[in-house]
Amino acid sequence: MIAESPPALRCRNVSVRYGDLAALTEVSVAFAPKLIHAVVGQNGAGKTTFARVVAGIVRPVSGTLEIDDREIALGHVNRSRAAGVELVHQSFALPPSFTVAETMEFGARRGRPIFTRRELEERWRRHLENLGVQARLGDRIRDLPVESQQGVEIARALVADARLLILDEPTAVLSPSGVETLFQRLRGLKASGVTLLLVLHKIREVLAVADTVTVLRGGRLIEGPVAANSVDARELSAAIIGAEAEKALTMRDEEALVGSDLPADARHLVAAKPKAPAILVADRLSTRPDPEGPALGEVSLAIAPGEIVGVAGVEGNGQRTLVRALTGLAQVESGRIRLGDQDLVGLSTGERRARGLRVIPFERNSEGLSLSSSLWENWSARQLLRGSPLRLISPARFRGECDRALKRWDVRYSTTLQPAGSLSGGNAQKLILAREVDDDASFVIAAQPTRGLDVGATAFVWKSLRDATARGCGVLLISSDLDELFDISDRLVVMLSGRIAAEFWPPFRLGDVGAAMTGAR
Amino acid sequence: MEEFLVATLRYGTPLVYVTMAGVLAQRAGVWNLGLEGLMIIGCCASVLGFVQTGSLLVGFGLAIAICVLASALLWFVVEKLRANPIIAGLGLTGLGLGGTDLAVQAIYGSQAMVNAPYGLPRLGPEFGAFGVLSILVALMPFVVFLVWVVLRRTRFGLQLAACGEHPFAARSVGVNPSTMRLIALCAGGVLCALGGMELALGSLTIFAYGMTAGRGFMAFSAVIFGAGHPLASAAAALFFSIVGAIGIRAQLLFGNRVPNDLLLALPYIATVIGVWVSARLRGGATTSGFGELRDY
Amino acid sequence: MRGNLAAVGRALAFVLLALALCGVIFQLAGYSAIEMFQSIADGAFLNPNAWQGSLRWAMPLFITACGVVVSFRSGYFNVGAQGQFYIGAIGSTFVVDFLNGYPAPLVVPLAFVTAIVCGALWAAWPGYLRVASGADEVITTLMGNFIASLILIYVTGGILKDPSGTGQVMASRPVAEAYRISSEVGLSPAIVGIAVAVGVLTWVLVNRTAFGVLCGLAGRNPTMVVWQGARMSQLGLAAFALSGALAGLAGVIEVLGPNGRLVSGFLPTHGFTAILIALVAGLSVAGTAVVSLFFGGLAAASLYLPVLAGLPAAAIDIINAAIALFITARAAPGLAWLLPRRHAAGGA
Repeated sequence: MIAESPPALRCRNVSVRYGDLAALTEVSVAFAPKLIHAVVGQNGAGKTTFARVVAGIVRPVSGTLEIDDREIALGHVNRSRAAGVELVHQSFALPPSFTVAETMEFGARRGRPIFTRRELEERWRRHLENLGVQARLGDRIRDLPVESQQGVEIARALVADARLLILDEPTAVLSPSGVETLFQRLRGLKASGVTLLLVLHKIREVLAVADTVTVLRGGRLIEGPVAANSVDARELSAAIIGAEAEKALTMRDEEALVGSDLPADARHLVAAKPKAPAILVADRLSTRPDPEGPALGEVSLAIAPGEIVGVAGVEGNGQRTLVRALTGLAQVESGRIRLGDQDLVGLSTGERRARGLRVIPFERNSEGLSLSSSLWENWSARQLLRGSPLRLISPARFRGECDRALKRWDVRYSTTLQPAGSLSGGNAQKLILAREVDDDASFVIAAQPTRGLDVGATAFVWKSLRDATARGCGVLLISSDLDELFDISDRLVVMLSGRIAAEFWPPFRLGDVGAAMTGAR
Repeated sequence: MEEFLVATLRYGTPLVYVTMAGVLAQRAGVWNLGLEGLMIIGCCASVLGFVQTGSLLVGFGLAIAICVLASALLWFVVEKLRANPIIAGLGLTGLGLGGTDLAVQAIYGSQAMVNAPYGLPRLGPEFGAFGVLSILVALMPFVVFLVWVVLRRTRFGLQLAACGEHPFAARSVGVNPSTMRLIALCAGGVLCALGGMELALGSLTIFAYGMTAGRGFMAFSAVIFGAGHPLASAAAALFFSIVGAIGIRAQLLFGNRVPNDLLLALPYIATVIGVWVSARLRGGATTSGFGELRDY
Repeated sequence: MRGNLAAVGRALAFVLLALALCGVIFQLAGYSAIEMFQSIADGAFLNPNAWQGSLRWAMPLFITACGVVVSFRSGYFNVGAQGQFYIGAIGSTFVVDFLNGYPAPLVVPLAFVTAIVCGALWAAWPGYLRVASGADEVITTLMGNFIASLILIYVTGGILKDPSGTGQVMASRPVAEAYRISSEVGLSPAIVGIAVAVGVLTWVLVNRTAFGVLCGLAGRNPTMVVWQGARMSQLGLAAFALSGALAGLAGVIEVLGPNGRLVSGFLPTHGFTAILIALVAGLSVAGTAVVSLFFGGLAAASLYLPVLAGLPAAAIDIINAAIALFITARAAPGLAWLLPRRHAAGGA
């Protein structure tokens, strides 16, 4: 079905290694021009690496790359850009203090290199208008909402005449309606003759926008570009997840992993749980605006033991502030937080933890772990903080306890002395779970606990959260993946601009939740 | 009043030059604590080159050459060997202090000072009280303006700033942050040479061991105080010089009642206050946050 | 253990690289690098009396370096050891000067306590500015050094000035013989005892207390320990004060020990050398003890060079500075084999 004209992009035997890890192995694939191609796969399948190879940011150890039938040198961004390849990054690569106009200019390849501010804005106004990007040229990137940032990043990628535009997970940070707007924009670009390569991991989105689909798994090409209208969603999901991993998953989890949007009514035939008195209560919680997010406005939540409450919302709508306020890292201006029968407001983070509050932080590698510290130090951090700081400790005893705990949590490691940075993402998350989801935990806040994890690790995290609720823990789950939330939450709240905009009970409907996320409801 | 302005410009001009070097480095993403060392190298090389050959131009060229070379060494250590910029910068400073000491001893034996026969050309009597200032003082505002134009109004400046603020963004449009840092540091080397030359041959005609007395570090804090903006940083540097000039003035006026040594401490105290105020205003950007001893 | 060996190998490789750079500088300055290194080795270790001198210099350096280890491990670049050392020395001199004539068992401990407290306070203000407002501690502690040396010039030229002294060197009145803890040689049992005690206590603090392990974690990733519930402000202030206290302790040892009085501008590179020792030792206490001997030797050589070899003492400053330039380097073209290998990542 590949068209007769020469392919817009052809890769032959591309292999990439990061140290000992093979990120891509012998990938050979060709994409026809002027179509929307989707590259799908689980986290860690090599999709982003593939995109970066084409853009010249990552240099493969072997292979060749041809754009419009001309071979280009590997690992040179400038060569790739000269050939018309532009990449839009997942977490946008825009300097936050730049204005929109400066962002356009710093990547430009033509035009007078010296300018006045006025000239600069004149130069790029037309460009943004043509693309329909709603952003004032004098605005700074850090002040823009995430949808506009993406628009700006796409506009930046199109300052030169891009013929092949690659978007890496463009939908990850968008609300469902934002996704629809993005797809409109992409179809417009396709009509103007640009070839698009989308890195995605939701089947639903692939089917909505792509002309062809290509599956990567474990760094290998599983299925070449096939026409999207001819694929079967169930087969595609099997190709993405892999037959072996599939056996270990329930069908519901499997659907959540690939966002396949199969029979909606089959989901969540909930057994209504008996109402127990809430373990965690937040009562009209308000904060000041935080450097890390908007202020909370009278957020009220009550979570029962054994309940998983999901928090949905476009990123940056106060989820971080909520977690930081509950943990004691952000100052609460008014309102109350109660854990069991104890008032938490006024207590430090350490004191809250001593009372059974546990947090799996947003950023695994900076907030959750010290990557250059040993496993046992990371694991024992919470215990070290209890009692007098000057008490004598025995590292050997901590190492022994850590050893036992990590074995129980099935972490793959060689010694407790190895640095946490040497663990894979999934094992690192298990280390955090081993520390946070212990027997004394009475309430667990899990912030983006599966971000960047592969199938097995994701399923493991879900299972451990469910196990914790079985022991009577309450769980607050913050995620930007709606499929994940729909799968494991007993109840869902939607945050918008620091407030709780809506609350949903199963069965969840994508359209309703999405509307609440953008305030359309 | 004029006298006071002259004293401020004398104190401040070397500081502003070196501050501009710090601004370039900070924009490109390197916290350059080697400024102190580069500045003393500038002082020493210009005086020695001048005294040994009798030509100011040779002194000028030698100072620039060695400062650029030393900056490139710092770049190599920080970028290529991935050393901690703070410690490596302090090392370069030590190398500058020790190296200039060694050079003077090698040429003049155990002498601690080198006198030059005359200094840089002066503005001349037609400028009145300002006539005693050197031409580098007059050049200073233009250099600040030039740095501002380059950093804020050219594509090169935007790319340089991207290297400091978001190196990945720079890389993904095909700009090599490492190369840009080399350019920024070497350009800074030239500015440090100018600053050192003005200090040694502008108002004085002398090289003395340790004569920079922390001015490089002050310039560094002026960069922090000015948030890396060329004009704001230059203003911060001038603010420190005003405090320094007040100290010198106070010595003349009430030297017998207030201890001289404590008046000399005024610019250092002003610097501490400057760093503290900018931390209060902007929530504290600390240099060691970029430290390689940390794990992210 | 393999990781430790690799770290030692890497440190040695970069020290050698630094020495090579020094050789080039010496040659350019017109000295014979070989002769220079030979004389330095003589002055530090090879001549018959060298070890005594090296140990004398190593003791106070080791004490200050232990303080540097504590603050650097906690992630705070307290580069103000020099100022804290001076202020400690000044404080203790005030005590022995004003209480001159009182019994030694009263005055000497008081001098020690004063020095420790003064040093701690001189580290505490930059520490406070850092943890309370985020003011960059590198600049504030450096400025603290300049201010402290001006205070030293001021007190030795004023309140504490020795009226019988010559005009050349400003110094305090000599410390009364009864209060001295060592002779000029500087190797009395008291000093060695203090150094050993500081070493042992610092080792225990860093490796065997909750505070020490947390400081290590905080130094590598402060965000993570904050999410775990640590109060960085207390942790940081304690680390600053502790490092200042140890620098102050080194100050009183110099005044009551080998120096015997407070001299304006004495040991101007003490703090910088202590920082280097801590860094070369990879912030380990045991390593600091060994590395102190090496830098103590260099300090002894810097006295030996101009007097007995007719070479400039600046050579030692250059060696120190060159080591500082390279010691924190983590990657080296062609030296990759020295770096610790990644542990095999488990699959998941």
